[in-house]
Amino acid sequence: MSPRLFELMLKAAGYTVAISVAAIAIGLLIGLLVCAAKLSPRPWLRWPATLFVSFFRGVPLLVQLLLIYNLLPVLGLAVPSVVAALIGLSLCTAAYQAENLRGGFTSVPRGLLEAADMAGLSPWQQFRRIRAPIALRLTVPALVNEAILILKASSLISVVGVVELTRTAQNLAASTYEPLLFYSAAGGLYLAINWLVAAGGSLTERALRRGRLA
Amino acid sequence: MSFDVSVVLAALPAILSGLKVTLGIWLAAAAMGVVLGFVVAALRHFGPAPLGLALRLVVEVLRGTPFLVQIFLLYFGGPYVGLSLDPVPAGLLGLTVYAAAYFSEIFRAGFAAVPRGHVEAAHCVGLTRAQIVRRILVPEMTMLVLPQCVNMAVILVKETAVLSVIAVPEATGVISAIGSQQYAFLEALFLLAVIYWGLVEACGWAGRMIERRLSKFRFA
Amino acid sequence: MTLPPSAIAIRGLCKSYGKAEVLHDIDLEIARGATTCLIGPSGSGKSTLLRCIAFLEEATRGTILIDGQPLGFEERPDGKRVRLPPHRIRAVRAGIGMVFQQFNLWPHMTALGNVTEALVTVKGLSRAEADARGMAQLRRVGLEARARHYPSELSGGQQQRVAIARALALEPAILLFDEPTASLDPELTGEVLNVMRDLGAEGMTMVVVTHEIGFAATVGQRIAFLDHGRVLLNGTPGELFAAPRHPRLTQFLETYLDRGAAMLLQPA
Repeated sequence: MSPRLFELMLKAAGYTVAISVAAIAIGLLIGLLVCAAKLSPRPWLRWPATLFVSFFRGVPLLVQLLLIYNLLPVLGLAVPSVVAALIGLSLCTAAYQAENLRGGFTSVPRGLLEAADMAGLSPWQQFRRIRAPIALRLTVPALVNEAILILKASSLISVVGVVELTRTAQNLAASTYEPLLFYSAAGGLYLAINWLVAAGGSLTERALRRGRLA
Repeated sequence: MSFDVSVVLAALPAILSGLKVTLGIWLAAAAMGVVLGFVVAALRHFGPAPLGLALRLVVEVLRGTPFLVQIFLLYFGGPYVGLSLDPVPAGLLGLTVYAAAYFSEIFRAGFAAVPRGHVEAAHCVGLTRAQIVRRILVPEMTMLVLPQCVNMAVILVKETAVLSVIAVPEATGVISAIGSQQYAFLEALFLLAVIYWGLVEACGWAGRMIERRLSKFRFA
Repeated sequence: MTLPPSAIAIRGLCKSYGKAEVLHDIDLEIARGATTCLIGPSGSGKSTLLRCIAFLEEATRGTILIDGQPLGFEERPDGKRVRLPPHRIRAVRAGIGMVFQQFNLWPHMTALGNVTEALVTVKGLSRAEADARGMAQLRRVGLEARARHYPSELSGGQQQRVAIARALALEPAILLFDEPTASLDPELTGEVLNVMRDLGAEGMTMVVVTHEIGFAATVGQRIAFLDHGRVLLNGTPGELFAAPRHPRLTQFLETYLDRGAAMLLQPA
């Protein structure tokens, strides 16, 4: 592989990382809202949230992407394919992250909140100082896992025409007749990025280890 | 946006054939993936160390790269190393190997999660090594890993959609093709989404049923 | 102003979960400056009673007066039971501290962080002042040196002592203990009971739900024996344990005590 083509691949990998990070961040925000709705005592909030999670976890991402890509223009929103792809990825990861967060929030032992109640903390203070920090710590491993899944899943946005790492490899494989080389290179780059994410995740977990549930 | 149901009805035979391919590839890949995954996990648990290391490397690569890239590599790169496969066999092989990697990891964790004391207790009452594997380790591990196996089966249903990119005539490929021929893309995609959604929910429901049945075997 | 004679006065307290009534018409006076132990078989309602006093559970009927002030609900002259506004509930509860069986230390905060959390977020103290007060409380339970440790790095006994310091930091008039040693290894119960003994000697008003009959007999000035959601016996250890004993209490002691502890209770 010539240095110029390798540089092209590296840039494409950077694009893949950027889109994945954006999707994870947006998905975390939406996921928090969906999680809050799912934990709400009001059925009219819980119901749509449950439906949202079930749909976006039950339909293949590829079908979701095709659906959003074709639906947006019909709704009068002519957006570039990368925006449609980002919306699709974000909604999908939001559904998974909402479930992870729900797991975290429901795993905070009741007694810790009772102790906060006895210490006079208001419900909002209990949430902000005790429940949320513990729940988020419990969610870190799942979040790292989700980041790796989304990084791999982002390869599917190549199908709706976003020129990220997989699409770049596809283009170069077709024009150079060297599919083995370029698809292996793409695989190697995904592997390297995932390894970095996993390493970052275990460093974070180690940093939080002292504050784990006893 | 208007929904045209007649398009769907006219294309029903084609849709059904696509569905059949999806279900066939899914079930075959899942079944072969479980078997292959179990063999890999057993070799990693009981086999010689160098083999274990090599298998671990392969599993890590398969789990660390997108399925789409794996399929492209197999289908487009295969012919350069003498592996020319039609879309369906290529898809089946790709999905099986992919599934095996994940299943092997589930089984490996399952073996590790069987409490040492249970094995020690079996030693104490005089069971042989082979008996311990057959009578204690494998049954206990199966209980432990069943929920994750169902989960993996659900993931595999969704991964079959990816096979449409190498022209496997499964549901996503067939139905979206009908949609573009008939200018009814959204109808086709909604139908497709509902089919997968139903399949995944049914699978999840079956998994919960099995889990409830097995819950009495769970150790405290 | 004269304080009412009882730190806690419980009148006609009932508590039901659905149809199951776990506390029946409890009347109990808890003396100021004394240690009162609640003992009784599992399911007798002693922990529920304590949690009602902490207002972690809301009684179905009856009243609890803390230093003469109604807790949570007030009985109007017309017999209606009305819920008090939040600020009045908070004001009364501020005088009550609680120590739990499972310690319930917040895992993401150090020992000192646990003790100072409410001083900063509830009382609005500065970090420096809260730390100074927190260290003083940790010193009181002998854990000054562990201030910067997280709960996961402390033994069970140490965690429970931090939990006691956390409750003491808010300077409560009444301290409630819900089976404070039940989750501890036997060799660690001593350090916690010693701290409690010292607090009792300082004149803290304490209500202790416990299975440690030895502790109840030696430190408790009053003992209430609960059975099937009722206060069956209430008196000094001497009155309760001296022969002739109530047959239910004898039965309880025989099933719950090992011989070593039973010997402690033999009338001299």
